[in-house]
Amino acid sequence: MRYAAVLLLLLGACTTTYQTPAPVEGPSGTPPPAARQENVAVAGLMDSARSDAAAGRLGSAAATLERALRIEPRNPRLWHELAKVRLRQGDYSQAESLAARSNTYAGDDRDLRAANQKVVADARAARGR
Amino acid sequence: MARRKKLWRFIRFALLAVLLAAAGFTLYLDFRVRSEFEGRRFALPARIFARPLELHAGLRIAQGDVADELREAGYREGAREAAANEAGGWFARDGNSLDISLRPFIFWDGPQPAKRIRVAFDGGTVAGVRDAQGAEVPLARLEPLAIGGIYPANNEDRVLVRLGEVPKHLVQALVATEDHNFFTHRGFDLRGIGRAALSVVHGDRVQGGSTLTQQLVKNFFLTPERTLRRKATELVMAVLLEMHYSKEEILETYLNEIYLGQDRDRAIHGIGLAALHYFGKPVQSLTLAESALLVGLVRGPAYYDPYRHPERALERRNLVLRETRDQGYATMQQYAAARATPLGINPKASVGTSPHPAFLQLVHRQLRREYDEADLRSEGLRVFTTLDPRVQQAAERVLSRKLAQFDKEKRFGEPGLEGAVVVADSQGGEVQALVGGRDPLYRGFNRALDAARPVGSLLKPAIYLTALSEPSRYTLVTPIDDGPFVWKSRGAPDWAPKNYDRKFHGMVPLRTALANSYNAATARLGTEIGIDKVLATVKRLGIERDLSPYPATLLGATDLSPFEVAQMYHTIATGGFRTPLKAIREVTLQDGTPVRRYPLAVEQAFPPEPMYLLAAAMQDVVREGTGQGLKNWVEPEVAVAGKTGTTDEQRDAWFAGFTGDRVAIVWLGYDDNRAARLSGAAAALPVWGELMASLNPEPLSIPKPDGIENVLIDPASGLRADQSCSGARELPFAQGSAPGAAAPCASQVGVAVEQVKERAKGFFERLFGR
Repeated sequence: MRYAAVLLLLLGACTTTYQTPAPVEGPSGTPPPAARQENVAVAGLMDSARSDAAAGRLGSAAATLERALRIEPRNPRLWHELAKVRLRQGDYSQAESLAARSNTYAGDDRDLRAANQKVVADARAARGR
Repeated sequence: MARRKKLWRFIRFALLAVLLAAAGFTLYLDFRVRSEFEGRRFALPARIFARPLELHAGLRIAQGDVADELREAGYREGAREAAANEAGGWFARDGNSLDISLRPFIFWDGPQPAKRIRVAFDGGTVAGVRDAQGAEVPLARLEPLAIGGIYPANNEDRVLVRLGEVPKHLVQALVATEDHNFFTHRGFDLRGIGRAALSVVHGDRVQGGSTLTQQLVKNFFLTPERTLRRKATELVMAVLLEMHYSKEEILETYLNEIYLGQDRDRAIHGIGLAALHYFGKPVQSLTLAESALLVGLVRGPAYYDPYRHPERALERRNLVLRETRDQGYATMQQYAAARATPLGINPKASVGTSPHPAFLQLVHRQLRREYDEADLRSEGLRVFTTLDPRVQQAAERVLSRKLAQFDKEKRFGEPGLEGAVVVADSQGGEVQALVGGRDPLYRGFNRALDAARPVGSLLKPAIYLTALSEPSRYTLVTPIDDGPFVWKSRGAPDWAPKNYDRKFHGMVPLRTALANSYNAATARLGTEIGIDKVLATVKRLGIERDLSPYPATLLGATDLSPFEVAQMYHTIATGGFRTPLKAIREVTLQDGTPVRRYPLAVEQAFPPEPMYLLAAAMQDVVREGTGQGLKNWVEPEVAVAGKTGTTDEQRDAWFAGFTGDRVAIVWLGYDDNRAARLSGAAAALPVWGELMASLNPEPLSIPKPDGIENVLIDPASGLRADQSCSGARELPFAQGSAPGAAAPCASQVGVAVEQVKERAKGFFERLFGR
């Protein structure tokens, strides 16, 4: 009987987890902000930052990412991209902190967490630690 | 005979000497004229801009706010037809939409041409932006407001123009009024002097005797004294100038040099700035009547000031128009039409060097780290800042109104209560608003930056953060003793802090001690952890000043400026990522070439878990503690995290806190340190609340770090609860630090069920990544 109750509870917990995949939740149970939906403006800026970075225009890529972050300060992708740009610019401590910042908003995105971990590892290796 | 010969020789010798001296002097003047005129570049102030408004679908801004900002940037409303042929600069409301014709503008990352956009609104948010063809525009950047400058000596301000940009009728009106024969004379004009003499006799002083060239020489090279020698020098230099330079060059320089008015402490120089200042339009668009008004100012910008002496200015303008007609530059019809128009000056209130001088001081100081004062005042740099005009104006308005209200209620007399406000965005650390006192236009003492005042309880979060960083010793429910506390140290009087309500509260949970700002409990906690550790935390939060290692420091017996407090609370708002507060984004040269960017820099100063716990405790300050009053202004759903601060005898009232999108600090007090008899909760909090409420705050929602679990707690005992406990609350704990025992209200089974639930949740969170 007790096991059955526990099982039911488990199922209950399971479904609620499925129903509310909120990326973030507040310490006092405030409603999570709007789920991560693609903002066209941010997507456009992200594209232009990526092509800048690909072409080696790192300063311009960073500026564009910062502009996007003003629109979506909680977008972990933007923080991650900025961390990568700083890494390429040789600004290792910034790269590390920015990757950590990305992680705080990364939620369930395992790939992104792994990518952030790699930025941190690369930054530390480059700093000779 | 011989004597006579001698005399002759002497005379010839003397004459030669005089001639030589004159020639030498002329050569010297010639050298000066050429080197100075050629090398002369007008000193151009650094121009400071607010942040540009970037419109995109989903942005939380009302139609009216966008319209206000456009109006302030000099855009005309509803002038669709009338302005259609001018280069942009208008907007029109159309139901839930705004049609905007954007002027061209050179941003730090390049020029943006003039363009038409249509912005649709849905309640308080932007629904979408489209261009003239109806295509979607993902991001539309509006021209930023100019918010002042860093000016050369005497606060000379000017906007340079090319002669080709100046309307012909303006030049004609100028020549007709000031110097009929400008295009034919050689620097001086005998007929002009004669006419001037005559007009003095007639008592009808239209024209002075000086040519435009002489006026330019006078303004350019010479001091304003009126001596015969100076007059002669002026004459020679004018002739020399005419020998070396064309009429066009001289005229263009004249038009850029001429002093045309005063805007508080700012001197309006040149026709380009005058056109903007008096009529809000570029020089190209000046009408004949407007040009005549400006030409009329040449004789006496103060005497003919159209704002202070409109009748005099009108009379003078019409006189200029008459001269223009008499000289054959305007037809009778043109004259009559121009004469019939009203003055038509810009109603814009005068703001002097800046409408927001306190914020400009911050910009200036941050610029001084990289630039020479001289360069800032002369190179025409363009500085793009982080100021948000909407936030700045709201902060100025709310502070002034509340201070006036407190003055009235308390009847303390002059000088009144003072205050300061700092607002920054809670993520990137951009300063959006800074108010340095009750008069936002005051250019002196900036309390937000320079008033270091005791911070009282505002330092307490640093103590609790230090404690929560050791989860094996302290959690949010760890009992703390709020009994009488005495600190004894050799050579110093005993320190026995009292509580605000003059009572002691026995054992209280840690979060309650912070929420109610209990001094005895906090002092005990702080000394238990170690003052050095707490001060190290304060430093890591971003306070650079050295604080004295005494226990009284723990309760805020230390002086900080509102700006420093903002830095500290910003680090808390970001979850431990220290980000230097900045007021500048980019700097470019006058032509738009980028010279420097001020990048976003973050440094992880604390792990996320204790920061999360601290933020939760600070949300409790507002939910159930000293910050409760905030519910009168801000919805509880916003879940503000904050802290009140009140110092001895209520000399200083503080409130510091953050929402999902902003950190704001409010300080109130008297400059002379009188007791204000106002607490942080009673005085600073209402200012904070009213300000935030007007800004449609984003709810605070901090992502839960991996190392945090929520546990159902019975508030009475601080132990584990189950569903049968009334008033049980889920509280965050660092993994494994939550109490193990069940509360009296809970059954062992119930607690076990809750524990299983928590574990299951944690299991599935890990399994499904949340």
